This record gives sequence, C-alpha cells and structure tokens, in this order.
Amino acid sequence: MKPEMRQKLAREPFAEKIRKVAQLIRLAKAFPRRPRVTPAHPYGK
Amino acid sequence: MAVTPPSDNLPLAEGLRAANDLVSAKLIEDWALGGALAAIYYVEPFATYDADIFFIPRDKGLTAGIPAIYAHLQSQGWRVEREHLLVRGFPVRFLAAQGLTEEAVREAERIHYEGVPAKVFRAEHIVAIAASAGRAKDKARIEQLLQQADLDKTFLENVVHRHKLKLPTL
Repeated sequence: MKPEMRQKLAREPFAEKIRKVAQLIRLAKAFPRRPRVTPAHPYGK
Repeated sequence: MAVTPPSDNLPLAEGLRAANDLVSAKLIEDWALGGALAAIYYVEPFATYDADIFFIPRDKGLTAGIPAIYAHLQSQGWRVEREHLLVRGFPVRFLAAQGLTEEAVREAERIHYEGVPAKVFRAEHIVAIAASAGRAKDKARIEQLLQQADLDKTFLENVVHRHKLKLPTL
C-alpha cells in the first residue's frame, strides 16, 4: 500500500479504525495463515 | 453491564466503561488504553486480538488488587480465560502500571469513544514503551508511529532520556 494511503487511514477517526480492526480480525479468522511449507534445501543440506 | 447484544464491532466501549467502573468502585486509581489499540489511535488499523488496559493500583501490595478487579468484573458477567478477561469473547488484559507505564497512564490523552470517556497513551509513550520492550514487533511499531503519528519530538526525547532508553536504528 502506498504511504499516502496508509497516512490517510491513520488519520481516520478512532471509531472507524476500530471497525476496520474488527473486520481484519474476522478476515484473519476466516482465512487463517497456513504454516509455510519449508522447501527442501536446494543443496540437500 | 457486560451482557450486551452481539455486534460486528469490537466491544471496546464495554471495556473502557468497565475500567471507569473500577475507578468508581475505588478498585483502581486511574487507567489508560495502551498496547496495540492505543497505537491504532495514531496509525493505520491492523489486526490485534486483545486490548491492554493499564491501571494504577490503589492496592500497593504485591497483587496490585488484581483479585478484587477480577472478582468485580466477573460479577458483571465477564469471563476469565488465562490472563485475559473476556467481554463478549474479546480478550482484555488489565495490567498494573509502574514506572514508564504509570507515567504513560498519568499523562495519557483524554478521548471519548462511543460516548465513553477514556484515556489513551500518548504516541510518544507508546514509542518509549516499545523501545523498552525491544521485540521485533516493537521495532515495527516504533517505525509505524514515526512514519504516521504526529510525534512531539522534544517530548519523546525527554521521555527516552529520563527512562534511559535508546530508540532502535531503523
């Protein structure tokens, strides 16, 4: 995200930002990060 | 108090109201919102899974009055889950302030959130507390605050100097 956009989000009212935090939590719960599958080392170590 | 209809939003107002109730009940002297949610007051929103409420204890003993605080909130319908108290499933930590965090509570900014009077740590104190913790996520928080918050540089330098802290090189 562009710094100007991030700055704009930072300037939003606190209540609006808390609503966005709630949305982010819902998204994170709906689409949990899967643990990264570490590829085998290319040189077999 | 704590039994309220479910909502899509975080039950932050309930948490702040409960903290005010603890002052009225003379269980704590003062309080302020700290941690990630305090940082979000100044920077872009990001996901966080709990609220940190720092309080100045009235009980200066070893327990900082935490058993009485928990008992009071449980009587209001809050549930306890490990170190968290849950309001409508949202975890809130009540943390006894001391030293830098006590100063942060005393000098916190007064706000109103959904009609509830509250206090939130100053951005400069959040930076200083992150510098004192020194984890990777604290360094990221400092960077974010330096980029996005309107920091009072003189105030920040003063806090950092008095508490013998060092800001990380970013």
